[in-house]
Amino acid sequence: MESSRDISRDAYRAIEDIVGADNITDDPAILDSYAFQWLAELVRPERSHYMPRPWAVVMPLTTEEVVAVTKVCNKYHVKVKPISTGWYHWAAPLKDDEPTVQFDLRRMNRILEIDEKNMYAVVESGVICAQLQAEVMKRGLNINIIGAGCSTSIVASASAYFGGGPSSYFLGSNSDNLLGQEWVTPAGEIVRTGSLSSGCGWFCGEGPGPSARAITRGTLGTRGGLGVFTKCAVKLGPWEGPPVLQPTGKPPAYRLPIPDNFRVYTVGTPSFEALAEIYYEIYDNAIGYIFHRQFNLAGADLAAALWLTYLDPNGTMNDVEARSKDPEVQKISEEARVSFQIILQGRSKEDIELQDRILDEIIRRTGCYKVERFCEADFAEFTNMYLQRMGHKHCNFVWVGGYMGSWMQAGTPDFVKGYVKTAIDGFERDQKSGLLVQCGGDAMMGCGSTLGGGGFFALEQFVSYDPNDNASVDACIKHMEDAITDCKANGIPLGKEYLYLQIGWTDERIWDDLSKMPQQFVLNFQRKIKEAFDPNGLGDRNYPWLPEGWGQQKTIAAGSAAVAGVGKP
Amino acid sequence: MALEEFRADAMRCTRCTYCRWIPFDLIKSDRFAKGCPSMEAGKFHAYSAGGRLVTALSLMDGRSTVTEKTKDSVFKCTLCGQCDVSCKMCRYDMEPLAAMRELRFDLVENGHTLPQLEPVLESLRTEFNMLGKPADERGDWAKTLKVKDLTKEKAEVVFHAGCRYSFDGDLGPVARLSVKILQEAGVDVGIFGEAEHCCGGRAYGMGYRGDLDNSARHNLRAWKAAGVKTVVTPCSDCFHTFKRLYTAEAGSDIEVIHMVQFVDRLVKEGKLKFTKEVPMTVTYHDPCHLGRQGEDYVPWSGTEKKIFGQAVAYDPPKPRYTGAFGVYEPPRDVLKAIPGLKLVEMERNREAAWCCGAGGGAREAYPEFSAATANERIEEAATTGADAIVSACPWCEQNFGDAVEAGAGALKVFDVMALVGMALGIEEEA
Repeated sequence: MESSRDISRDAYRAIEDIVGADNITDDPAILDSYAFQWLAELVRPERSHYMPRPWAVVMPLTTEEVVAVTKVCNKYHVKVKPISTGWYHWAAPLKDDEPTVQFDLRRMNRILEIDEKNMYAVVESGVICAQLQAEVMKRGLNINIIGAGCSTSIVASASAYFGGGPSSYFLGSNSDNLLGQEWVTPAGEIVRTGSLSSGCGWFCGEGPGPSARAITRGTLGTRGGLGVFTKCAVKLGPWEGPPVLQPTGKPPAYRLPIPDNFRVYTVGTPSFEALAEIYYEIYDNAIGYIFHRQFNLAGADLAAALWLTYLDPNGTMNDVEARSKDPEVQKISEEARVSFQIILQGRSKEDIELQDRILDEIIRRTGCYKVERFCEADFAEFTNMYLQRMGHKHCNFVWVGGYMGSWMQAGTPDFVKGYVKTAIDGFERDQKSGLLVQCGGDAMMGCGSTLGGGGFFALEQFVSYDPNDNASVDACIKHMEDAITDCKANGIPLGKEYLYLQIGWTDERIWDDLSKMPQQFVLNFQRKIKEAFDPNGLGDRNYPWLPEGWGQQKTIAAGSAAVAGVGKP
Repeated sequence: MALEEFRADAMRCTRCTYCRWIPFDLIKSDRFAKGCPSMEAGKFHAYSAGGRLVTALSLMDGRSTVTEKTKDSVFKCTLCGQCDVSCKMCRYDMEPLAAMRELRFDLVENGHTLPQLEPVLESLRTEFNMLGKPADERGDWAKTLKVKDLTKEKAEVVFHAGCRYSFDGDLGPVARLSVKILQEAGVDVGIFGEAEHCCGGRAYGMGYRGDLDNSARHNLRAWKAAGVKTVVTPCSDCFHTFKRLYTAEAGSDIEVIHMVQFVDRLVKEGKLKFTKEVPMTVTYHDPCHLGRQGEDYVPWSGTEKKIFGQAVAYDPPKPRYTGAFGVYEPPRDVLKAIPGLKLVEMERNREAAWCCGAGGGAREAYPEFSAATANERIEEAATTGADAIVSACPWCEQNFGDAVEAGAGALKVFDVMALVGMALGIEEEA
């Protein structure tokens, strides 16, 4: 393979002059460490684990360097693709024939400000959630950590991702928490939003003038956002726990002692109807700090066996297999089959005791129960650690290194319980081949809410496959296609599997599909945004838009996806 | 093992980047959250464990060839194993540290070596030490000792000083004190003096597997001839090499004890009493080879099997090295037993300890990287308010000592055994 595509060395040298020789590379092996991405094998020819190789990787240190490099990219017509931590196939370049500079933003890693009084923090793109959380907790504050875990960038989740996580229930999602932000357009211009745009500081994400959020925001992570997000401010929430987390125990399952003003429970429910009911009751009564259905990521059949093994520092997968056959563990599996985790945080002794009593009453009223084994001290402390820091999210991959999250349609609890059965039946059906991990049809995990205060819900099906086995990869792809079919057949909006698969499609196929979507004025409006901010077409290919002549041009269509006369011109 | 045997590890890496950080649960500040010295130096993802797995895959698949930059990304790493701990927080089917070592072996065996390491390896092959010193000076540290010479006599226990304690005049007292403590405890101990050979562990870390084999063959043969059943060493590199590598690579079944473990045992049994106050606040640095890489080796030979359709397990069950059971408490307990001494912890401790920078050939091949890594640890130690940073490995101590001398801070640097000597009121002359 060639070390770089046929682009003038002048472009490389120009960028090198900006960032320094140590901060740019086109070494093939190093470029491959960026091309290699999770989920790539699901969309790339021959099940390759590599997305297209970047033309070069550059590591800017400042916004000014981002601007300067972007301008060079415009001069030489090289696409720009930023990553912060770089996790997802869509974080890599997307087309083999498009030279792309991958901006690795990990050098932009400063926490610029923590405004304790006004409860916000300003960070650069390379700062991960764990870093910021550790600092704000010292000030009695906390951040929402997204479901993907604390290894992710705060700027990415707040600026580009919707950013829900276990604590979104109380703290709100990061997209809600976004205040001022700084964005470098694909043309190399700096856009500052909200109060920042008037030089008034970071405290507000809106105005003066029209909100810029609709212009800057993508959809999921680097999927969809144009340009490079370089800084942002996020709203912080109250933290009544210790200023520094002091875990105990040995890896992997560290335990976080539960302070007197906290409670940590796993609550079992008799059905998904009851789960929706208890959730409504809990947020109606305004109790709780974290609400999450976490441990089911291992699948309802195996979750108890896995997590009880995980608590043992010597535990192996063979132990999981043995435990899964243990009648006592099977009993726990049944108790925890439709369960969730809840953490209560009290501002005082009286507050926590009141919340505790309310929860007990809700549990009694809804016919739910506490899952005894998971509420014992060792497991509860582990749960506390897991959900407060979200430092074990790579357990998503615990079975065999391949995980594809399907479904994840967000809505009210009643809406979610409506698609659960279809999702479970479909997964159970597709597991029968033995080519996916057979963990039970219900491997649905998700946030109690992506809205502060609750009321919203989403469950994601955790499909595990072996990326080292093409037959297993094929089975996962088939499952994704099946899930799409199941959604369409049951009138359910498409889930994450659709977004994942789209990464492997041609532009024309994507546009053809988007042409059949409702509300096409949105996609035409986004074309205008793209034309204004990305005149040379160097931004992310996944920014959802329709070229002129595609789809409905002038109608603000509502409702039906099946609109006559749409599609390719 | 061959690099190809790590293909599945590479294919199943998800590029999660956990390998760059200490276990997230243990992060207490923004400042000391990072876990990988190599990433701090090299910056690009290829300098992480996950990145190196991709490099291995890329080379195996013929997508790339070895360039100077590739070599830099492979060798500019202390092999401290922090990545291995963090990866295994969530994974049961990956061995990043072993894979990174294998990648080095592969490069070296295919002629992609670092010229900077040649003099060190030459010294190992001709003078049997890693310091470029004449072999016949190796036993000088023990000239004033009355101890069995195992080239002529037999003993149950061999005290293996290791290259640095043998040749570094400042550390000679620690070695002599160690032998005296063993003798006082009634141990049947001897040394090989100038006939002692390097353990070979550092060469192994540099990518030279054959040199470890040579050292292991020599040392194991010599120990057997002398009737040795146990080796005691104050050096964490040697400890790891004997305990893990000799067992894994050469089938050794000899008992291996670090000197701090031995002293800890004596203190707890009441056989060693500290009589002198050592009024000092110290922080303890866990050497990688005593801490997270110091777990017992469990021989295993087996195959991968699939359970639950596609999940990975092993037949028979494969032991896991997660850093959970390294030698963490004995040195701390020894320090805590010293009257007047106060032990304070750095944020990154035990399995999350930041490396000193001396391992994996970094000190020899990349002195600036090695020094920067040491400086980082000295800065962290300084935040504890300690007067001194203490360790149980002469390589750590040398790297820290050099960093302090170069202006990294005002901390003193001690070996645990040096403080033991003070607490016993024994003053060994350098």
